Amino acid sequence: MSLWRTVRNLQRVGVREWWRQLQYIGDAKSGTLVGADQFGNRYFENRNGEEEVPGRHRWVDFVQHDFNATQVPPEWHSWLSHIRQDPPAADPVIQNLTPPWKAAWTENLTGTPGAYKSYNTVVPKINAWDPKVRPRV
Amino acid sequence: MSLALRTAVVNISRRTACHRAVVLPGVRSLHSSTPVLSTQQQTTSAPTATQPVTAIAKEGSRQLSLETPQNKAEYVLSTLDKISNWARQGSMWPMTFGLACCAVEMMHMAAARYDQDRLGVVFRASPRQSDIMIVAGTLTNKMAPALRKVYDQMPEPRWVISMGSCANGGGYYHYSYSVVRGCDRIVPVDIYVPGCPPTAEALLYGMLQLQRKMRRSRKGVLWYRK
Repeated sequence: MSLWRTVRNLQRVGVREWWRQLQYIGDAKSGTLVGADQFGNRYFENRNGEEEVPGRHRWVDFVQHDFNATQVPPEWHSWLSHIRQDPPAADPVIQNLTPPWKAAWTENLTGTPGAYKSYNTVVPKINAWDPKVRPRV
Repeated sequence: MSLALRTAVVNISRRTACHRAVVLPGVRSLHSSTPVLSTQQQTTSAPTATQPVTAIAKEGSRQLSLETPQNKAEYVLSTLDKISNWARQGSMWPMTFGLACCAVEMMHMAAARYDQDRLGVVFRASPRQSDIMIVAGTLTNKMAPALRKVYDQMPEPRWVISMGSCANGGGYYHYSYSVVRGCDRIVPVDIYVPGCPPTAEALLYGMLQLQRKMRRSRKGVLWYRK
C-alpha cells in the first residue's frame, strides 16, 4: 500500500470505483473482473506480483452495504480461497458435480427474524406443578 | 401427560405461526406436510441485488420499524444512535476470560494472521475498561462466582461472547459434577461461537456478528417512542 499505488489504481479504475474501494475495501486495487455471482458480488483477480501481494490477489467487491463473508456463495468461496483454480463458470468439476437437489444459498441470517431457531417436538420431560385439591370426604 | 402434550402442540403451533411471516427460499423447513408448504409458498420472494435476503427477512419486523424514522425527531435520534453504534463497534475492547484451550485460539485472533487490531479490538485485562467479555473455555463451578463478579464490574453497555462448546453448554464436560452447563447460566450471552475449540476465524466472525448486533441498537428511538 503506497501513495503511488493508490494514484496509479485511481487512474486505472476511475474515481467512482476508486472511492468505493477506499470506503469498503480500505485499499485501492485494480485487476481483471473474473465474474459475478447470482447476488451481484463482483470478483477480481490480479496475478501480477508487482502490483498485488500474493495472497491478496483475489478479492470480492460486495454489492451490499452491510456486507458479510457469508454473502459469498460456496462456488465462489472455493475460488476466492484457492480451493479451486478456475472460477465456477470455467470449472468443469463444479459445472458437472453440482447436484440438482442443492438448495439455494442464503447468507447467515443470525440476528434477523429469518434466523433458524431450534425447537423441540418431543413431550417435555419437566412440567410445572399443577396443584389439584382433592375434595374432602 | 395430556397437559404436557397440549403444551407441546401449542408450542409447535406458536412456532409455525411465528415462522410463517418470514420463510426464506434457502431455508428448508423441518415440516414438509401440505398445509405447511402451502403457507410457505405465498410469502417467498427471490432475493435480488437491490433487495437482499436480509431485507426480506426484516420485512414487517419491529427492528425495521425502529430503523425507519417516522418524523424529524426520530430521524435525529436514529442518526445519533447510528453515531454511537459506529463508535462502539469501532473500538470493541474485550475482557479476556481465557479458561481453557479456547483461550489459545483467542490469542491467535490477536496474532498477526487474523489481526483483531484492524477492527479496533484490543484485549484489555481490566473489566472496568472493557465492554465485551469473551468467555473462552470450560466454566467450572469454582470459577463461576469470579466470572459473575468480573461481569458485574464491567460498565454498561456490555456484551458477552461465549466461545466454544464448554462455554456454550458444558460441551464435553456437560455431565461433570464440577462444571457449569453453559456460561449463560451465569451471565447473559450475546453471541455463541460453536466449536471445540472454535478457530480463530470463527471467533473473529463472531466479533463481526457482534458488530452487526451493535449496529441494530436504536436506544434513542426506543426511548422517544415510549
